[in-house]
Parts: sequence; structure tokens; C-alpha cells
Amino acid sequence: MTWAAFETLLTGAGTTVALSLAGLAIGVPLGLALALIRWARIPVADQLVATYVSLVRATPLLTFVLFVFFVLPTMGLELDPVPAAIVTLALNTAPFNCEIWRAGLTNFPRDQLEAAEACGMTRTLAFRRIVAPQLWRVCLGPLVSEMTILLKATPAVAVIGVVEITRAASRIGAATYDPLPPFLAATVIYTLLIAVIVQAQRVIEALIARRYGYAAP
Amino acid sequence: MADAAPAVSARLVCKQFDGIEVLRDVSLDVAKGSTACIVGPSGSGKSTFLRCVNWLEQPTTGQILLNGAPMGVVPSPKGGTRPMTAKELALARTRVSMVFQHFALWPHLTVLGNVIEAPVHVLGRPRDEAVEDARRLLARVGLEAKADAFPHTLSGGQKQRVAISRALAMKPEVLLFDEPTSALDPEMVGEVLEVMRDLAKEGMTMMVVTHEMAFARDVADTIAFFDAGRVIETGDPKAFFTAPQTDRARRFLTRYGI
Amino acid sequence: MNGFAIVWQERALFLEGLWNTVSLVVAAIAISVPLSALGAVVLVEAPRPVARLARALIDLTRCVPFLLLAYVIYYGLPQLGLRFDAWWAGLVTMTLYNAAYLAEIFRSAWLALPKEGFEAARAYGFRPATLYRRIVLPQIAYASAPLVGGQIIVMIKDSALLMIITVREISFAANSINANYFTPFAPFVVAIGMYWMLSLIVEAWVRRVASGARLRYG
Ligand SMILES: Nc1ncnc2c1ncn2[C@@H]1O[C@H](COP(=O)(O)OP(=O)(O)OP(=O)(O)O)[C@@H](O)[C@H]1O
Ligand SMILES: [Mg+2]
Repeated sequence: MTWAAFETLLTGAGTTVALSLAGLAIGVPLGLALALIRWARIPVADQLVATYVSLVRATPLLTFVLFVFFVLPTMGLELDPVPAAIVTLALNTAPFNCEIWRAGLTNFPRDQLEAAEACGMTRTLAFRRIVAPQLWRVCLGPLVSEMTILLKATPAVAVIGVVEITRAASRIGAATYDPLPPFLAATVIYTLLIAVIVQAQRVIEALIARRYGYAAP
Repeated sequence: MADAAPAVSARLVCKQFDGIEVLRDVSLDVAKGSTACIVGPSGSGKSTFLRCVNWLEQPTTGQILLNGAPMGVVPSPKGGTRPMTAKELALARTRVSMVFQHFALWPHLTVLGNVIEAPVHVLGRPRDEAVEDARRLLARVGLEAKADAFPHTLSGGQKQRVAISRALAMKPEVLLFDEPTSALDPEMVGEVLEVMRDLAKEGMTMMVVTHEMAFARDVADTIAFFDAGRVIETGDPKAFFTAPQTDRARRFLTRYGI
Repeated sequence: MNGFAIVWQERALFLEGLWNTVSLVVAAIAISVPLSALGAVVLVEAPRPVARLARALIDLTRCVPFLLLAYVIYYGLPQLGLRFDAWWAGLVTMTLYNAAYLAEIFRSAWLALPKEGFEAARAYGFRPATLYRRIVLPQIAYASAPLVGGQIIVMIKDSALLMIITVREISFAANSINANYFTPFAPFVVAIGMYWMLSLIVEAWVRRVASGARLRYG
């Protein structure tokens, strides 16, 4: 494998990371919004979100990205491959994040909420002051797992021509008739990326545990 | 006359969960400055009743009056009532504070943070004032040194004393306790009961669900004995503990060696 | 022409896709469940160096994307003299990839089981083989069913990526109709509907197992 090939791989890695981060930046807050809709049991919206979650959780990312890339233009929404990939990743990760946030909300210790209510807090105030500051800590672990899943799911967007790590590796392999080295290098890059994410999570959880004595109530 | 009204007056409170009757026609008055202890076997509806007082549970029928004003509902001008809005209910709840069996401290806030949280964010008191108040309250339960500690570093007894400070910080008209010592190791029960005794002496109005019969006998002004969702005896603790009127109460007390 | 009419006209392609997806998933489950059960046994009970090696292999597999593994098997292994056609490469990929996740699921379900029951069984004179068959495995099966169900749904979804290595599965069918007739909506809606149906079937199965578990464990 030449240095140029290696550079191609690294560019691919940059694309993978950028796509994942962009997907997360939209998908995680969107998931929280969806979870809050379900938590508050807003009629109709609640059922719509539930259906959306069930549907997307069953749809392969590859099929979803093809759908977004080919079908949205027929509705007058033309997207380039990269924006289409970001939109799909966000819409795809949001339902999973929604379920994580929702589990955090429904498993939130009831006595703490009652204590807040007994002090005269409204639901909104209790959410802002009592639930929110603890919720993200409880959800951190599952959200990070979801993050690594998203990272590993990004190769699906190769199908609409986005060149991320896996696609870059297969191109190099096809050009050099020697596919194993680039695949091996790609494996190392993925492993490193995931190790970094998991390590960051450990550090944050240790900090939380040191300060509050728990990572999840 | 609002002033002559009892601090808490429950009138014919009934409560059903999914059609199962848990409280039936419970009526009980708690005079201002007095302590009422609620005793009875497990599952008799004591907690449910206490939670009806601050509307954590809504009575199916019946009324709760706090110093003469109805809880949870607002009399409408045309006669009849309507349920309180979330805002109104939140405001009404600030008049009653509650201490929970499992403390229910907020683990992401320090001890001081727990005590000032509701005064600052619900009552809108200035922070400095709330902090000053909180330090005084913590000092009186002997925990001024723990103000900056997080709840998980405290013992059970200390946690419950913080919870009592948190309840007092609201300057409530009535203080509710649901088995405040049941989750504690035996050697910590005393320190919490001590604080409650002092509060009773100072004229705090309290309703206490408890299995501590000695405490009930010494501190209560009124005893209410619950059985199967009804109040079947109320009155003076001396009379209740020495000469219970009903068979059920006699059998209940025997189990405590009384 | 209406998109759905085209899909109907090309139904053979879709049915072939459905058949390939389902057959790959079923075959991969049939092989990867015993394989991963064995993997879990190795992780928990094998001597240190063997367990370490198994752990490293499983962790490595769990670090790479499914598509990368598929590429390695379809394009990389022929270099070492191992050649599969697309369907078989797909099956090998799905089996290995899922076995790694399932092994981890089984291992944690196993470690979370209360140990008293095993001790009681030993006290009653169960021999290891019987102990595993009658006491350990059924409990692991119940405890891990929801996660296994989730993993099977992941597996169904991963199988779509095999389209890239030319396996003629559901998404391949949808995409080729789109490419030939320029009507993306109907074929992709039908494809997504098929995936949805498959995962609803898996979820129904998980619910049945879960109700069996509730009966036993409350
Ligand atoms: N949210 C609920 N839904 C359904 N039933 C409930 C609910 N809360 C309480 N109950 C039932 O109401 C009855 C009274 O419960 P409650 O907790 O008031 O009893 P208690 O006297 O406080 O008992 P303990 O001394 O054990 O705390 C019980 O039979 C209980 O199962
Ligand atoms: Mg109770």
C-alpha cells in the first residue's frame, strides 16, 4: 500500500467521523424531542412518533439512504450525496436515541419526581431542574453505544457514492488488486475510533461517579 | 372563620385504584400546631391517605381542606368546583411539605442545593436569603458541616434529616411524614425522631405515618388507626394505647407488645 | 406507468429478494447460534490463553462494520485461495458477524444468572452435561431472548448491505427496479414494508418468549 493510498483512507476516515458527528448533532437532540413527546403523552403525536420509531428501527440504513436520495427529489427536495447521507444518518439514529432517552425518563426514580411535585414544582420545572441534569448521565452509556453503532453503520452511505473509510479501502483494493492490506488498515482505523469513543465514555463516567457517587441512579 | 378551621381536614375521602377501593370515607381533622399519628397494618391505606392530602393522589371522592381552603379543586362562581390547573396545584402544594420513607433527595444537588432548590425555583425567594435560611435549618438538625456534601456520602439518618430541612425550608403550614424511619438502621432512628419531637414541641402541624409506637404515644396529640381503608379509631393516644376500642386495634397493638 | 404496477410486474425479482434475505437470515441464525453458544462457553470456561484469544477475535469483529467484513470475505479471501459466490460470502459474513455479538449476549446473560440454582443442581447430583442442558441453557435462552431478537433484527438490516457485493436480496430488487424504470417511490416503500414485516415477526416471537419467561420468573 502506497502513502497516497493511505492518505485516501485517512480522508475516508475524516468523512466517516464528520458524517457520524453531523448525524449525532441532529439525531441526539431530535431523539430527545421525540422522547419528550412520548413522555408527555401528547395525543396523536405520541402515536405518530411510535410508528416512526418502529418503522425506522426496522429499515436498513442502506435502504433508507437510497429512499432519501432517490425519492426526496421526486418530491422536489434535491439533495447532494453528503447532505442526503447526513439527513439519513440523523433520521436513522433519532429513533434509537428516542428509545434511550425514553427509557431514562420512564425509569427516572419516581420518589424524586414526587418530592419535586410535593415541593410545588410543575412538570416543566421538575424536568428542567431535577430530571434533565441527571438524565444525560443515565443515558450516556447507551448513547455512546448507539454512537459506535452509528459509526459502524456509516459504510451504508457508500451506496449513494459517498467515499468513507470502507469505500475508500475497497477502491484502493480494486485499483491495486491487493485488497487485504487496505481492509486491514481500515479495520485498525475503526478499532482506534471506537476505542477513543469508549475510552472517553469511561473517563466521563468516572468523573460523574467521583462527584455524585453514581453513574446511573 | 378560617382561623378556627383545622390545619387539615379530610372529609369522606374515598380512593379507588382501577376500581379497587383503597380508602373509604376517611374523615380526619388535624388541629393547628398539633401532631397526628397514623398507624395501622400494612396495606391499610395510610400512605395513600397521606398522599391525598397534598394531591399526589387524587381522592376519587371527598374533600381535603387546608386551613379551610379546598385542596386540588377551585370553587367555581357558578357553584360546584373545577380541578386546579397545574400551576394552581403547584402553588397549593407549597403549603404542605412532605418527608418520604426513602428520603427522595435529589442526588445531583449538594445537601444545601437540595434544601434551597424549591424555595429559590418554586417560591422565587432570593438565593442569599434561601441559603442563609438553609444553613440555619441544617444547623438545627446538626448537619451544617455537610452543606456541601452530596447525598450519597451521608448515612440514612443524615439523609432523612436533610430531607426534613428541605421540607421545612418551604415554611409549610403542614408537614407530612410517610414512615420517615422505616428505611433506617435501628441506631439512626433515634436521631430522626429527636428532630421530629422538637418540631412537635415548637408547634409545627404534622401528620406522621409511623410504625414507631413509642413515638406515637409520646408525641401525638391525635391517633388515627387505619384498617382496610377506613379510620376505625381516632382520638387521644393515651386512650388508644391503654384501652383500644376495637378488636382490630387490640390485635394490632399486641403485635408491638403493647 | 404506476410505480406499484411496475413492482407487481417485477414481483419475481422482489420475491427472489425476499427469499434470499430470509434464507440468508435463517441459515445464519441456524449456524451462528450454536457457534456463539460455543463461543460463550469458551469465554467463560476455557483456560486463560484460549479465552483471551476468543475475546480478542470477538472484540475485533465487533469493532468493524458489517460491510467491511463482507468485503474482506468476498474480495479479500480469494487472494488467500478461498473463493465464495456472493450468496455464500453473504452467509459467511452474516454468520461470523452475528456470532460475535451473540456470544457476547449469551456470555453476559450467563454471568447474570443467579448461581444458587446451579449449586442446587450440583447438590442434587446433576452431571455437567445434564446441568448445562437442563438448567443453564434454558435459563440463558429466556434471559437473552429479547437481546437475541434485537440482534436478529440488526442481522436482517445488515443483510441489505450485501447488495453491494451483488447478493440479490430485497434492497437489490428495489434498487434495480428504480434504476430500470426511474420510479424510486414504490419499490423502496415495498422494500421497507418487507423489512418492517420481518422485524414485526421477530418482535412477536420475542414477546411470546418473554411471556413464557414471565410465567416462570414473574
Ligand atoms: N398506585 C397504586 N395502584 C394500585 N394500587 C395501589 C396503588 N398505591 C397503593 N395501592 C394499593 O392500595 C392499598 C393501600 O396502600 P398504601 O400504600 O396506602 O398502604 P399503607 O397503609 O401505606 O401500607 P404500608 O404500611 O405497607 O406502607 C394497598 O392494597 C396497595 O396495594
Ligand atoms: Mg405506606
